Amino acid sequence: MMLNMVLRRIWIGLATMVVVSVIVFIMTSILPGDVAQIVLGQSATPETLAALRAELGLDQPAYIRYFLWLGDMATGDLGTSKAGGAAISDLIGGRFGNTMLMAGLVAAISIPISVILGLWAAMHPGTWLDRTVTFGTLATISVPEFFIATLMVLILAVNLHLLPSTALLRDDMTFFELLRGLAMPIITLVIVVSAQMIRMTRAGILNVMNSPYIEMAILKGVPRQRIIVRHALFNAIGPIINVIALNLAYLVSGVVIVETIFAYPGLAKLMIDGVQTRDLPLVQACAMIFCGTYVILILIADVGSIVSNPRLRHPK
Amino acid sequence: MKDKLTPQHTLGELKFSDLSPYEKGLVQKAVKGGFTRRDVLKLMAVTGVSVAAAQNLLFTGNEALAATPQKGGSIRMASNLHGPDDQLDPPLFTSTIDYTRGRAVYNGLIQHRDNLSLEGELAETFEPNADASEWNLKLRKGVVFHDGSPFTADDVIYSMNRHMGEESKSVVKSVLASIQEWKKVNSHEVQCILNTPNADLPVLLGLFQTKIVKNGTTGDGIGTGPFTMESFEPGVKSVHKRNENYWRDGPNLDALEITAITDPVARVNALIAGDVQMSTQIDPKAFRQVESAEGVTLLSTPAALQLGICALKNAEPGSNDDFVKGLQYIQDRERIVKRILKGKGTVANDTPISAAHGADHCHELPQRPFDPDQAKHYFEKSGYSSAEVFVAPVTSGIEDAVLLMQANCAKIGFDLKVTKVPTDGYWGAVWMREPINVVTWNMRPTAQSQMAIQFGPGAAWNDTYWNNERMGVLLQEVLSVTDPAVRHEMMCEMQTLIHEGSGMVIPAFSNINDGTADNVMGIPNVPTGQLGGNEWPEFVWLA
Repeated sequence: MMLNMVLRRIWIGLATMVVVSVIVFIMTSILPGDVAQIVLGQSATPETLAALRAELGLDQPAYIRYFLWLGDMATGDLGTSKAGGAAISDLIGGRFGNTMLMAGLVAAISIPISVILGLWAAMHPGTWLDRTVTFGTLATISVPEFFIATLMVLILAVNLHLLPSTALLRDDMTFFELLRGLAMPIITLVIVVSAQMIRMTRAGILNVMNSPYIEMAILKGVPRQRIIVRHALFNAIGPIINVIALNLAYLVSGVVIVETIFAYPGLAKLMIDGVQTRDLPLVQACAMIFCGTYVILILIADVGSIVSNPRLRHPK
Repeated sequence: MKDKLTPQHTLGELKFSDLSPYEKGLVQKAVKGGFTRRDVLKLMAVTGVSVAAAQNLLFTGNEALAATPQKGGSIRMASNLHGPDDQLDPPLFTSTIDYTRGRAVYNGLIQHRDNLSLEGELAETFEPNADASEWNLKLRKGVVFHDGSPFTADDVIYSMNRHMGEESKSVVKSVLASIQEWKKVNSHEVQCILNTPNADLPVLLGLFQTKIVKNGTTGDGIGTGPFTMESFEPGVKSVHKRNENYWRDGPNLDALEITAITDPVARVNALIAGDVQMSTQIDPKAFRQVESAEGVTLLSTPAALQLGICALKNAEPGSNDDFVKGLQYIQDRERIVKRILKGKGTVANDTPISAAHGADHCHELPQRPFDPDQAKHYFEKSGYSSAEVFVAPVTSGIEDAVLLMQANCAKIGFDLKVTKVPTDGYWGAVWMREPINVVTWNMRPTAQSQMAIQFGPGAAWNDTYWNNERMGVLLQEVLSVTDPAVRHEMMCEMQTLIHEGSGMVIPAFSNINDGTADNVMGIPNVPTGQLGGNEWPEFVWLA
């Protein structure tokens, strides 16, 4: 039953990726200018354009280029960048590691903080602590991340000289130096993603707290903390896992603003660069990674909520 | 610069070394911070130093900046743009970061040095025949590539041939179109045969794209240049180490990291916080922040970076000469320089040539004033009462300059619509297509090449489609003229033709504005690109 569900989800996920690749291909093709024009820029002449287009295979019709790409992709060949000529696997390799490092560190800090703060707030609804958490999260959700990032750079780097203003990495950095170098983007992202997770945890649990079986537990005299941890949390965990999964996916694909402000070489920025140079294979490769990340994370979240919920585990 | 220099030095013998350390710092900062000579002279006059003494001081101060380089240290430089299209192949270089890497890793045949003078680099000598239709270049001996192989004429022939022929994708193919053939004379001598005489050929051999790669390679980072390449990740960074076998004195720095920070605010912050020691493209909005911050200097170099508005001559309304005149008279040039460029720029006279081009600049040409009445007169005469400008932020200040023009047009009852478009895709979709658009050009090292590229009849990037026969004749003829007076006269005639007849409106030139840490010294004064025409890697040092 479970295995069937997982297999079906994987199948749907693959189909989604193909659909996304077609959409991305069409959208990128609609944009004005092609990679040859962008690369040659202001210095493009009809002659050099033709020479470059022929070399890049841009003189072929779009659908043929798409299927050529699909064929290569199916055999694991990501192709070469049309704009710079480097192998896309090389371009992505280091950046994929960077993105995963950042996402991993942010997740490792923000998930425990969020769940604990969310639980805590739910245990003491209406107290000053709950109000502080609720107000704080609402405030950070409303403030755009570029504002938080710029403000932090101004205070921590430019004025106080505590932390570096950019996350420019060197190969010979020790782990501590690495953490220090990444501190600013990590803090920014922790603030941004935690708020939503905290609110969701709190809301999910308070929602369950209104159900009759919790009322029963309260009437039986079970302590509130025990009710939440033993009875409410497992029933609320489905939506919480889903919010965590969405935030993780965002950390992989959506952090382009933070990457730009801190000059951190990650995947999201790479995809934007690819779009700007109309570098289709590069854009496609990034799109596939992002799409795949979403598919996998949401699959895990769904499995997680089924496992944690007996009613879903044993459907009638 | 409120503090006064001690006024007792009024003699012509005042030397830089006579000054107190504080005064030295003041002069160095003035020289380095892009004060024009006139600014400093004015300053000296105010403080009681005679002009002769001040000139002397300025000269020796300039020398002191360049004279005592120290070895060692490393620099991280942040450009404004990079991406997966970063290149190590010189013919495809298109951005500052490519040019800088090219300057670190490769050598050219001829080099642009201070104040646009020329010096043999890999070519020891370069001699033309009588009419400059053939050039003979003797190559430097004993130069080796980073992999140890010797540099010979074959490398030159191979590298230069990559700019020629049907298959060539070279960015400067059309610029080098006057070259017919490269001939090997012997292992260290080559000959360049031209279709048409070109006295400016040495300038072209100093372009960013005409660097010499090893025979048979397509730019893999192995050159003869001052730095070897340790690593290169497109869109991330490159790391370079001092080339210990360099044929000249060698660079002063031990190591170099070349990267980019695309966000302008983040770039300025990184400079002030000390994460990078050099940064290109400081936005006018950040001038005050950089100037007031401790430990960093704004390096502002007068250049011919035009804020250009193109009215296409092959389309309405630009085809109407009166309409173009109207646009030209409605430019509040002083205000653009003062308010929009924050003083870091110069007023332009609707030609692409500025005082930074040196003797070829036509200073005799009367300055076109800001004259709303004249503008109104010409707009009325043209019969147009509205028009539409397409503007993208292709250079800092251009959007504000167009908005100012719109406001001034509104005052005289002319309805100018401003359509903002993104830079993304601009060069393919808008530039040279929409009837009125905006443009900027990197400063070309010679006035002739600057005008030929943009105003040559039928030239590929003649971006107003203004085809003037006389212009074509002059552009060709001036290349074989060697008499300075005749040359200047011809240059002036060309600038007058552009000023009077083309569809270009050029209200102002922007300076090149970069930022460096205070202890970064030795950046050459070459106004053809960021940070001393990107010529800095070999010469820069840390005080």
